[in-house]
Amino acid sequence: MSKILIETKHMTKYYPTGEGKFTALQDINLSFEKGEFAGLVGPSGSGKTTLLNIIGSLDTQSEGEVIVLGKEVSTLSARQSAALRSKHIGFIFQTYNLLPVYNVYENVELPLLLLKMSTEERKKAVMEALEWVGLTDKLKSRPNQLSGGQGQRVSIARAMVKKPQIVLADEPTANLDTENSLHILDTMLKINRETGTTFVFSTHDQKVVNYLNRVITLVDGKKAKDDLKVSV
Amino acid sequence: MILKLAYKNILGNGWRSLINVIILSIVLTGMIWMQGLYDGWGRIARRQMIAWQFGSGHYEQVNYDKYDSFTLDKSNAALSPEMEKQVADGKAVPILYSAGVIYPQGRMTPVVIKGIPTQQSILAIPTEYLKIADKSAPVIPVIIGKQMAKSTRLSEGDQFTMRWKDIYGVFNAYDVVIAKVMNTPVPTTDVAQVWMDYDKLNEVKALNNSATLIVLKDKPVNSDLGSDWRYLSTDDSMAGTDAMISAKRVGGYVIFTLLLFLAMVAIFDTQILSIFKRRKEIGTLIALGLTKRQIIRLFTLEGTLYMLLGTVFTGIFGMPLFLYFGIKGYSMPVDVSSYNIAGMSDSIKCYYSPIMIISTFLIVMLVTVFASWLPTARIARMKATDALLGKV
Repeated sequence: MSKILIETKHMTKYYPTGEGKFTALQDINLSFEKGEFAGLVGPSGSGKTTLLNIIGSLDTQSEGEVIVLGKEVSTLSARQSAALRSKHIGFIFQTYNLLPVYNVYENVELPLLLLKMSTEERKKAVMEALEWVGLTDKLKSRPNQLSGGQGQRVSIARAMVKKPQIVLADEPTANLDTENSLHILDTMLKINRETGTTFVFSTHDQKVVNYLNRVITLVDGKKAKDDLKVSV
Repeated sequence: MILKLAYKNILGNGWRSLINVIILSIVLTGMIWMQGLYDGWGRIARRQMIAWQFGSGHYEQVNYDKYDSFTLDKSNAALSPEMEKQVADGKAVPILYSAGVIYPQGRMTPVVIKGIPTQQSILAIPTEYLKIADKSAPVIPVIIGKQMAKSTRLSEGDQFTMRWKDIYGVFNAYDVVIAKVMNTPVPTTDVAQVWMDYDKLNEVKALNNSATLIVLKDKPVNSDLGSDWRYLSTDDSMAGTDAMISAKRVGGYVIFTLLLFLAMVAIFDTQILSIFKRRKEIGTLIALGLTKRQIIRLFTLEGTLYMLLGTVFTGIFGMPLFLYFGIKGYSMPVDVSSYNIAGMSDSIKCYYSPIMIISTFLIVMLVTVFASWLPTARIARMKATDALLGKV
């Protein structure tokens, strides 16, 4: 039986401007089930990142409903919203966003510190996550000592280490060459298949689109298409 | 976790952290040293005043007004039998004051003549030099202080004429010889003071065992000695000196408040720069599940850690300085002996009380926490989505 993890109902997001308001997303109705490997595609300014941010409870919608893991995100307090992110949602960013003063191990360990796990549990989980992305030999390296591909793999390990139900990846391959992009995508697909984690991407990279099993096209803040693919 | 993050970030800040820590350390060292200096000065002044002038407290004849020399000749009262016994037991020493004039080398200098028993051991004044072997001798031995000797250009063995009035208002004069020029650190026992034998002064003033002051060896059990006397504790006697030290201390505070302000500006500036530079990191931390309040706590803690590291630096690098000035003392860069301020003639040994150190630390700590917290208001206003994009 399918399980819906994310659902948006008539969701609209607008920003006040000097003269009126700018509508970034309009009447979005979507749902994502467990284990999906889906992507939001569309040109710049189409609202992909805004939608990901709202799903990740980093932002709130102006109208409509956004239900993530059974919770309406706009009604959550700052603490509840932070708890939702720390326990259930992993983020992967275009520029990796690794903390520069931490080494690879510490960067991956960070989400677990928030979950107040024991040292032993943290160590086991961090090593497992780094094995997924093939970086167990870079534990002591600082982010500035890693290549772009390695940095993004650390970012994936950091997103996956707490075994979240949802991973939101905002343009994860935009800063990578083809070889590294494919490597990253293979890694994420493997994790998706092994763990059943739902991945939602925002991308305009065709390489990513080729990997997705569902492609939602946004144009000017509106859902233009929602295509389900059979297999990669 | 926040602590670990803060610690890592401070290390990651490199030389900027080091500069903050060094500035804080200098401020903390300076504040502790300065307060230690004033506390040390106060302690020395108190010790010297007790040893040379006030003992553990004293009785003062009720007519005596230290600010009015015209009261001197009527400021005396006979010792009660109880007090005579205490004097005999070596628990008290009576001192008789008289207004007088000396004529060294023909010049005229008004003085206070002070009569003190030669056998006393409560005060450090070398009264053994005042003993008069031959009661009929025409020349009376006296002691003066170094400052007095300098200002009157007198030295040991010099003779001059000294004049005073007895209780009937009759002027009398004797030739006196300087038996000793004493080196007293207390100006009020030196400047314009001539010390002579208590009995002789009583005799020439036509008094009988009368005193202006009765200095005590120990604190009295019952300080009421009748209507002729009022009791003054050491604290009462030190009030003027304490007030002067406090006034000097305030001057020192102004300097170090400025230094502290500069240190706080440095921390404030570092925090602002840090928030600006690390806005993406702030966004990432929010995405990872930290609340803004936790991030504000993180930044405030970072500022506070500067203070703690500054304290460690102060402990390591300030300690030799504290020890040096605590053991060896601080000598005034110029000759201050003519300033007539108690406690300043010797080098001042700094005194660092635990309360002073802790209170100084707490003040700097509170100000540092405030300076660290103040810029974090920007974080509270920051939108997570903007922070992730590197916008403020």
